[in-house]
Amino acid sequence: MRLPARSSRTGTTTALALMALLGALLCSLRAPAATLTVAVTLPNGQPLADAVVTVRSNGKKLPAAAPMHAMMDQMNRMFAPEVLVVPVGSSVSFPNSDSVSHQIYSFSAAKRFQLPLYRGKPYAPVLFDRVGVVILGCNIHDWMIGYIDVTDAPFYGTTDAQGGWAAQVPPGDYEITVWHPRMHELTPTLVREISVDAGDRATLALQLTKPLRPAPMEGGSPSWGSY
Amino acid sequence: MGKLLMSGTPLRLAFGAALLLATVAARGSDWELDLDLRAVTSDAGASVLDGGYSPVRFGEHQSGLQLGRLRLALDLPLGEVWKLHLDASAWGNTYPNPIGLTEAYLEFRPYPRNDLRLRIKAGAFYPPLSLENRAGGWASPYTLSYSALDSWIAEELRTIGAEAKVDWLGTRLGLPLDISGVAGVYGWNEVAGGALATGGFLLDDRQTPLFGRVGELETEGGAYVNPFREVDGRAGYYGGMELNFPGRILITALHYDNRADPAAADFASQIFAWHTTFDTAGARVEYGPGWTLIGQWMGGRTAIAPPTGTLEWPFNTRYLLLSKRIGTHHTLSVRYDQFRVDSRNEESDGEQNGHSWTAAYVFDSGKSWTATLEYLRVISSSYSQREDFDLPGPVADTQVQLAVRYSLGAAGY
Repeated sequence: MRLPARSSRTGTTTALALMALLGALLCSLRAPAATLTVAVTLPNGQPLADAVVTVRSNGKKLPAAAPMHAMMDQMNRMFAPEVLVVPVGSSVSFPNSDSVSHQIYSFSAAKRFQLPLYRGKPYAPVLFDRVGVVILGCNIHDWMIGYIDVTDAPFYGTTDAQGGWAAQVPPGDYEITVWHPRMHELTPTLVREISVDAGDRATLALQLTKPLRPAPMEGGSPSWGSY
Repeated sequence: MGKLLMSGTPLRLAFGAALLLATVAARGSDWELDLDLRAVTSDAGASVLDGGYSPVRFGEHQSGLQLGRLRLALDLPLGEVWKLHLDASAWGNTYPNPIGLTEAYLEFRPYPRNDLRLRIKAGAFYPPLSLENRAGGWASPYTLSYSALDSWIAEELRTIGAEAKVDWLGTRLGLPLDISGVAGVYGWNEVAGGALATGGFLLDDRQTPLFGRVGELETEGGAYVNPFREVDGRAGYYGGMELNFPGRILITALHYDNRADPAAADFASQIFAWHTTFDTAGARVEYGPGWTLIGQWMGGRTAIAPPTGTLEWPFNTRYLLLSKRIGTHHTLSVRYDQFRVDSRNEESDGEQNGHSWTAAYVFDSGKSWTATLEYLRVISSSYSQREDFDLPGPVADTQVQLAVRYSLGAAGY
């Protein structure tokens, strides 16, 4: 999955290094950026991976991140990744790496669509042009469920295996939102405010108060049917 | 198996299957071919289904190599939201045909446009009541032998008619559960209950083909049971509910009534309409690191009313299955079954009281091969016939099977 320069995920150290270099170059021209790090943990202290982090400016309005092209695959009759966050206006392709057909649908307000994915046939990506969470299902495999968070935030990403996410942001006041589809908190947000000055390395540690709803049992045998 | 090989039946079947596959592969359908071979050792007498009295599939005389199942399934998409499903199997036994259809239906699965979804099936298929038989071909991924409950369903029940299911998709609204209602209307299943009343519960994995017969059972009329008969022209029904926390908890309940008129009979062929009703409820709980717990109960009755007076057989069965998947290749399962058929009739035309333990280890190669080792022990008092023939009351039967299954293709979704 390609990510825009302003977001980061697992293994994006090279991207971060590049950004740091870029930041250093811009240093003489503009105020240096701040490094914003978010660390999300469960009530038992374990890291929470795949949580969606979005960062909005509280002061000067920043434009939404640039649209991108992302991918959500179908592997072993599951969505991979299960959770995806994309800037509004992005397109997402569903390549179907399985040996069986899928029929992807959503009736979420942010995007209603249906897309049959027959084996070995490429399909045009789907455009996500409205902000909101889109919940995906498969009309053939009932247990398949995926989430695409379409955001207008200037900075966004999902937490890595250590529950961490980091980005370079200009100095200012920010509102940070954390969301995971199996969070118990019904308003799908955990919101915190933070101010950063030029050159700051700010870290927001956030611990959920309730455990996640249990995950579905992973990857049943592929020979299991729909009974 | 030896006999089978000599008769060349598997070869003919394989040849026919290959031809069929070549045809459908060209049409882009989903198909699946499974071959399941067994090495069996058993200390039981002949199975009830083979004219004996034992409640397991293989008797001592069948110890050795056996055909477990040969299955060919096809899914033919008709446009985007219609599908034709055909499931044919051979069990290497003495049914009238070497291979028979176990299910054949047309399914309509429109996309959900809001939080409600409709599904309609028409044709011949299993009523939606099994919690363990969730693999293709209505097989169990946990054990070779089905529970007593599901063995009876496989033996005598099929919806030959239509079924509608409505799902409220809470999970697509960000809530944790879906709620479903299901209802079916059917005919041609009015002798269902006959084999249960005369032979009791079994632990078996043979499925009676559509319009096939149950075993070689000698009934009073001197004929085997063909459960797929319409005698009085009255349609049966079932209705049920499901609460589904997908991949975690499934709770089901179903009421079933074939509405046969027990006084109706086809005297020419000595076939009675068996009025069979039951309720069933169960739950399947799956817990993150590979644990599955299934419990299901069923209670009901079947009755006929010949001119000499009503004969009624209440029955009930329950089981509890615990399974643990270890890594991606290994699954260990253990199941305890209890089952009982009573006779409220003066002449005591059969009663059974039994329980069983099943333990199974499944090795799934993740590709085409699966190997299963199963131990089954059934302790059952048997039918009065057993006493009639001076056989002892409760009998313990032990059957051990090693199954090797090879699958090609992927159908049944």
